[in-house]
Amino acid sequence: MPTLTSSSTSSLGDVLGLYSQRQEWSDVTPLPQYEEANPAAPIFYSEEYKDATDYFRGIVRTGEKSQRVLELTETIIRLNPAHYSAWQYRYETLLAINAPLDVELKLMDELAVSFLKTYQVWHHRRLLLTITRNPAPELAFIAASLKVDAKNYHTWSYRQWLLAFFNDDDLWAGELDFVDAMLAQDVRNNSAWHHRFFVVFQSGLREGETDRGRVIRRELTYVKQNISLVASNPSAWNYLRGILDANHLPYTRVEEFVKPYAASTQDTSTTDLVDLENPPPPRGAELPCAPAIEFLADIFEKEGGKDGVRKASELWRSLADEYDKIRKKYWEYRIREALQTVQE
Amino acid sequence: MADFPSLARAGHAAHCLRCLSALPSSQTEVDASRLALAFYCIGSLDLLGVLQEKTTPTDRESWREWVWEQQTSGQHGSGFKPSPFMTAPPQAPGEAYTNYDTPHIIMTYTALLSLAILRDDFSRLDRPGLLRFIRSCQRENGSFSTVPGSNETDLRTLYCAFAISCMLDDWSAIDKDRAIAFIASCRSYEGGYGQAPFCEAQGGTTYIAIASLHLVPRTSSPLTPAERQLTMRWLVHNQADSGGFCGRTGKDADACYCFWAGAALQILGAKDLVQSRSLTMFLAKCQFKYGGIAKAPGEHPDPYHTYLSLAALSMYSPNLEPNHPSAASWRFDPLDPLLNAREETSQWARKHVPGHKV
Repeated sequence: MPTLTSSSTSSLGDVLGLYSQRQEWSDVTPLPQYEEANPAAPIFYSEEYKDATDYFRGIVRTGEKSQRVLELTETIIRLNPAHYSAWQYRYETLLAINAPLDVELKLMDELAVSFLKTYQVWHHRRLLLTITRNPAPELAFIAASLKVDAKNYHTWSYRQWLLAFFNDDDLWAGELDFVDAMLAQDVRNNSAWHHRFFVVFQSGLREGETDRGRVIRRELTYVKQNISLVASNPSAWNYLRGILDANHLPYTRVEEFVKPYAASTQDTSTTDLVDLENPPPPRGAELPCAPAIEFLADIFEKEGGKDGVRKASELWRSLADEYDKIRKKYWEYRIREALQTVQE
Repeated sequence: MADFPSLARAGHAAHCLRCLSALPSSQTEVDASRLALAFYCIGSLDLLGVLQEKTTPTDRESWREWVWEQQTSGQHGSGFKPSPFMTAPPQAPGEAYTNYDTPHIIMTYTALLSLAILRDDFSRLDRPGLLRFIRSCQRENGSFSTVPGSNETDLRTLYCAFAISCMLDDWSAIDKDRAIAFIASCRSYEGGYGQAPFCEAQGGTTYIAIASLHLVPRTSSPLTPAERQLTMRWLVHNQADSGGFCGRTGKDADACYCFWAGAALQILGAKDLVQSRSLTMFLAKCQFKYGGIAKAPGEHPDPYHTYLSLAALSMYSPNLEPNHPSAASWRFDPLDPLLNAREETSQWARKHVPGHKV
């Protein structure tokens, strides 16, 4: 049995030759792809792929599920990781022959890096985990895999699924530290901000999290500190909005914090003081920053009345004409909508 | 104004025709989604309005035949498979499919649209079988699997089930309420929708969610005013300074999100909020020198990004003066953003897919 966990991504066929030339496969009848109509967008298959898929169709017809089927499906997957039928048959074969799933997971560790953007790699992993039911080592694997691609959608989804599916306190315990580490590498990583929201607000209350007021205060402090590091970070501002929206809190709650970010000049007299409630913009930040102007305008609009709408409109106008011109039409729409409420 | 580039329509048509005639072995990954690729190619020709002019009746007839050959029936009903990638020579005529060669719900949606583009009369469509197939794909939580019995499920497949039901004008196969509840569970605090519950808001799946909610026949608005505002805000904020749209907060712009976000905004009645000139300029820069449109400037083109860019351009124009030398190159027929097809094609589908109702 050749090793299936070689670190090379080159296919096994390079070493062992085509299936049609191998004595141990001579009992299988290869079946060609059957296509009667003139094909649209035909693919010029490599000889290797054609050979392996011919044998795979032959195997499917006889229904054989054996160790060598694992080798055959691995060959196909390495040549075409989106071949979902090869994945499906492989999975059923693993179960049928009671194959050691830790070996399979090791192979998946390698394939996940080679085919990071292929849905099937992650889907297969989920199926395996629902059987092994050993989620703990997965967290480190995911963290390592995010080092290769820190915003990979499949990788993050897999982590969210894993946490929600097993819902084990020990699994959840390290998540905030994990998000911290990810944001320390890139504070603009929206996937990490999203994950934090999922962990704190979307996945229900956990031990030690029952004091909602305390959790909200902690999260507000956290996001404000991050904004005070990089002021114009839309992911952090969306997180701030998310905390307030999810907990039905008025935006005025952070008005004092937001104001210096929406001002055109920095008040240098206070930047040396450490105010944990209202950390100031970073020194030298380009001010005002658009998300802060927008936030403040939302506060004024909510305040309502002619005065509120006038103050909000001035801010939207400044976004349209100067600070966020790509969204000019949107800001002008906000002005029109708000004016309507006071004219009625 | 005068230096606004042209859309290289002939080059983009040629790129799609090349792909329809053959794909190199480096494209082996589309083996299990070839029908979708054929749809992007044929669809691009349709959006460009050159299907009659650039292809012969024999070409069109042969593509129709090939698409029909992908219709397959068996224990989970009827639908279309991606290609014959798992089909062996039959042992008996009319043999049912195996569990590894079943219809695929995304391929079925692209097959119906491809046939509508080719103005097929759909007399060969197995309608009762198709309803049975969609029903067999719906899962306990309201979502749909790609193929019957699979756990592979996300919002894309739900959209396909809705679009097929809409084309059939028959919603009896699916549990709409559970499906709509599943869509709601994919909503994120940012105002967009993720691919599955708990996932990050993403442009493609946000289009899918918004389009699905608006495909369902109903009288009341599917979103509350506050939800609608938040979704619009998130979508509009994804237009980058380059003019293109990004798929997630803080990511780089990509041509395909010009469609996903642009179409979602059009469905929400907020098309006018897009900076249309900048968007078209971004897509102009995504054009590849030898034809086709890429995801970003300097990248290689593919039929997926070509089709979605042209679909975006069917909604958003650079608004050039009529006598501008490149104005004519940016002119398109209107698009149905719900089914993602040229309006005339969408009307053909809605008229002929249901067949003669008894």
